[in-house]
Amino acid sequence: MTFYLPGFRSFPKLWTSTLSLELGPATSPVFSFLRVTRNQHRWFSVKTTPPPNSKEINLQLAKARTLKKGHDSNRQGSFDHYFAAGAAKKRSHLTSNLQPREHAPSRVRRTIKLPTKPLNSEEWDKLKEDFNRKGSFEDWVISQMVCSSSSVDVAKSLLAWVAAKNNGIVGYNLLVKYLCLCVFHKQTSEVIDVYEIMKAKYKCLETAANTILIRGLIHSDRWREALLLLEDIKKVTVPSKRNYNDCIQGALLHQDVDMAWSLYQELVGHNLIPLLETLKAFFDFGKDINDDDYSDKLLDILLYLRNNQLYPGESFAHSIKTWFESIPGRQWKGQFTTVQRSGHCSSCGRALESIHLSPEEYEFLKGKIMRDVIDGGDQYKKTTPRELKRFENFINSCPPFDIVIDGLNVAKMFSKSRDSQILLYIVSQLAQQNLQLLVLGRKHMLIPSSRWRKDEMEWVRKLAHCFFADDISEDDPFLLYATLNSGNHCKFITKDLMRDHKACLSDVHAQHLFFKWQQGHQLAIRINFQKSKLTFQHTLSYDTVVQTTGDSWHIPYDEDLVQRSSYEVPTKWLCLQRKTQAPAGS
Amino acid sequence: MNVTVRFSRPFARLMLPFTIHRKRRNLYSTVLQRYMSSKASSLSCHNKDSTSPPEQLDLDRWKTTMKSSIQEDGVSMASDKGEDPLAATRELIEMWRLLRRQVPEHITEEELKTLMECASKSAQKKYLKFLYGKEIKKKAEQRKKEMKAEAREEAKKARLLETKGGEKQDFMFLRLWDRQMNIAMDWKGVQAMQFGQPLVFDMDYENFMKPAELQNTVSQLLESEGWNRRNVEPFHIYFCNLKLDSAYHRHLVKRYSEKWDKLLLTATEKSPVDVFPKDSIIYLTADSPNVMTTFKHDKIYIIGSLVDRTAQTGISLAKAKRLNLATERLPLDKYLQWDIGNKSLTLDQMIRILLCMKNTGNWEEALKFVPRRKHTGYLEVTQHSQEHFMKLKKTKKRLFLEGSLNVRTRKR
Repeated sequence: MTFYLPGFRSFPKLWTSTLSLELGPATSPVFSFLRVTRNQHRWFSVKTTPPPNSKEINLQLAKARTLKKGHDSNRQGSFDHYFAAGAAKKRSHLTSNLQPREHAPSRVRRTIKLPTKPLNSEEWDKLKEDFNRKGSFEDWVISQMVCSSSSVDVAKSLLAWVAAKNNGIVGYNLLVKYLCLCVFHKQTSEVIDVYEIMKAKYKCLETAANTILIRGLIHSDRWREALLLLEDIKKVTVPSKRNYNDCIQGALLHQDVDMAWSLYQELVGHNLIPLLETLKAFFDFGKDINDDDYSDKLLDILLYLRNNQLYPGESFAHSIKTWFESIPGRQWKGQFTTVQRSGHCSSCGRALESIHLSPEEYEFLKGKIMRDVIDGGDQYKKTTPRELKRFENFINSCPPFDIVIDGLNVAKMFSKSRDSQILLYIVSQLAQQNLQLLVLGRKHMLIPSSRWRKDEMEWVRKLAHCFFADDISEDDPFLLYATLNSGNHCKFITKDLMRDHKACLSDVHAQHLFFKWQQGHQLAIRINFQKSKLTFQHTLSYDTVVQTTGDSWHIPYDEDLVQRSSYEVPTKWLCLQRKTQAPAGS
Repeated sequence: MNVTVRFSRPFARLMLPFTIHRKRRNLYSTVLQRYMSSKASSLSCHNKDSTSPPEQLDLDRWKTTMKSSIQEDGVSMASDKGEDPLAATRELIEMWRLLRRQVPEHITEEELKTLMECASKSAQKKYLKFLYGKEIKKKAEQRKKEMKAEAREEAKKARLLETKGGEKQDFMFLRLWDRQMNIAMDWKGVQAMQFGQPLVFDMDYENFMKPAELQNTVSQLLESEGWNRRNVEPFHIYFCNLKLDSAYHRHLVKRYSEKWDKLLLTATEKSPVDVFPKDSIIYLTADSPNVMTTFKHDKIYIIGSLVDRTAQTGISLAKAKRLNLATERLPLDKYLQWDIGNKSLTLDQMIRILLCMKNTGNWEEALKFVPRRKHTGYLEVTQHSQEHFMKLKKTKKRLFLEGSLNVRTRKR
């Protein structure tokens, strides 16, 4: 299955876990097409019957109905929405990266073989003679040692040699590198020795040395001095989240819970996003503690994950599961699972939170899009005020749309066919479903040419509402606004991931809302065979975020072997529920 | 013992701690001896692997005591140091220098304050790197200067020896080349002021630039002005929208100093649309949809004096749209095989291209001033070649697609 990418080394590792489950739906387009249409073509055929008032609900019902129970639907559901983890990478492999690419990692040619045993001074002298690079020999050797994590003894012999040459003085940079090695090999006593030396020799240390020292000291009995070092860093700059992570780990290692929590508060107070390791450490430590206060704080961490749209890694998810199951008396039961298309957890059958925004959030997002993306301080950048006025009048004169189509994006999907032909095909397919359509485009589409035939464009204009922007205006902001303005049921069709427009939004909260809305409303055309039926990547009906109902938790997590882009969401879930409660539904 | 002789300076101070830990001292001196003797029998430690590590470790400990006894002077310094963040940062930088990080050796109070005002750690790092680069450049220049001065000194001496006879030669001109040239250029400049074609630099972008970018812009303006002055037929340069007491104005005055008031160009607070008829203005911007085909001698070209290293695009196009002006861009794609880099060129490159176009009207000649690194060579300009290129691109794509299809079928 993976052999057609022989040059890409990490490929098997990355994908086998998911692909082997699914028999590669997207690697063989025809196959996947057959399988998906079975579920999805009814998306449109069912649509003709229902009463027109509640399209959205029916739409979802139809989808739910077509789903088969059991593991079959499970398997499919895990990997085919547009924002699923790893989907973009897969798409890019399918379209462009088929050629085996040899990015052979060109290792730096070593002029000198690093010693594996401690050398005496003469041997070092000899080695130095062979050295023919720029820069100092000692620096280079110790850097290489750190890279290849040589044993501490070899480094020691180097330092001794340097000290003997240098009136017993070893340079600061050598000491720091040596410290790196000691910390890497967990030689705590050696770390303390070097710490003493440094304290004595230099009146203050800089951030790199402090960071390494903190990391080395937390395992020893003198871990409190690591906190002093943290204070030292604070005098000059804000410590990194890794510094905090180390200190918190140290505090937890030595059972000082209050210190750990206060450090955590400080970390969040600096507006740093804590490392997932840090949070995992709290959960790991929580297993042995039966304290309501502590568990409340852990639940706060879960809410923090929710609010910042963070997803735990696989091992972190295991820690969470173990902690929940270790709470005495509550009898939590955790399971790793996926979520069905209908938005129900495969394990407990509960419905997850809907992807749809609340009315306030919706209004907020609409205003933000208008202000930041379309206007953006200068209306001339993306459009002109006249055009904006024209667009607003146009939108107000039309009934709310059901689907907004990015004409150019859709038409350019297949380079072999005529643009207008594809557009007409898609529009007519959708028009058969009695949907109110809006096609956004640019004025040049109306000028007859080899790619844009006049009669076909006439047909498009008959079947759908059309708005043509100036050739130098951007059409995506119009697309967003038209969709948002039509209401919650309206969807839009484009393959564009809209990352640049998301980036225009000024604050993080609005970006999260935008992404949530996009997941629920963007339809991406799925297959490359325009002769056959039109199908879409299915849209999510549930929100992928850490969520709770009090007696249950659903936590999405990242698998270790799947690389997820920032605009994708995980597909795997941890379902936690109380055993005492009867499982709801199914 | 030869050791004491060798290390006499540090050891003199160390006497005190050494006498206190007598027991230890013995240990260390023996270690030292052993270390010294191991120099003689170098191969011995290779053979007996088990014994050599403790020996090395002790050697390390010896170094340790060296360090711990140096502390005497270090600690006393540390205690009188206050909690001043500026001083702490200065020390931090000093330590970074020990780590061979790219930080300057000397840093002034002012620079230190700018550093503290940086919004993020990466901004601080960048600023320090910038200062480091500046310092290195300055040092190199200094060195060069000294070397040149030395060479000149020597040359002078040599000449003195040679021309002792002092034979006289006949000359037609006195050596006044530079001054003559300046006067000639000024004459041409005055003529350009009267009859030259206007070329406008639009200075309305001050708010879009950071201080560093603004300084770069001013440097580029200076250079463009210099190129223009030297040309056979200079433009009449306008600095439009140049507000008095804006940062732009201040920088320009600072760089030109007293020359600023004698420059043969027009600086005005007015917008170009107030100075010139709207329909004869062409705004040059890389974002324009229209390609410049020929240089028109009756048009007024505007160049936006803007260096944008930020991600904002289409600022000058928006400006032209707002004022409802015609826009054009250079036909870079038509003549060059573009490789890397931004299509927007620096101001001095722009003015040299325009000057060349004005004098010769030859695009190949004019586009010589596009940096060589940005393109791989000239395209053959004929329409035929353009089509051929596109066709080639297409067939390549088709071949590629077919290839991929084959792979797929094979797989199944």
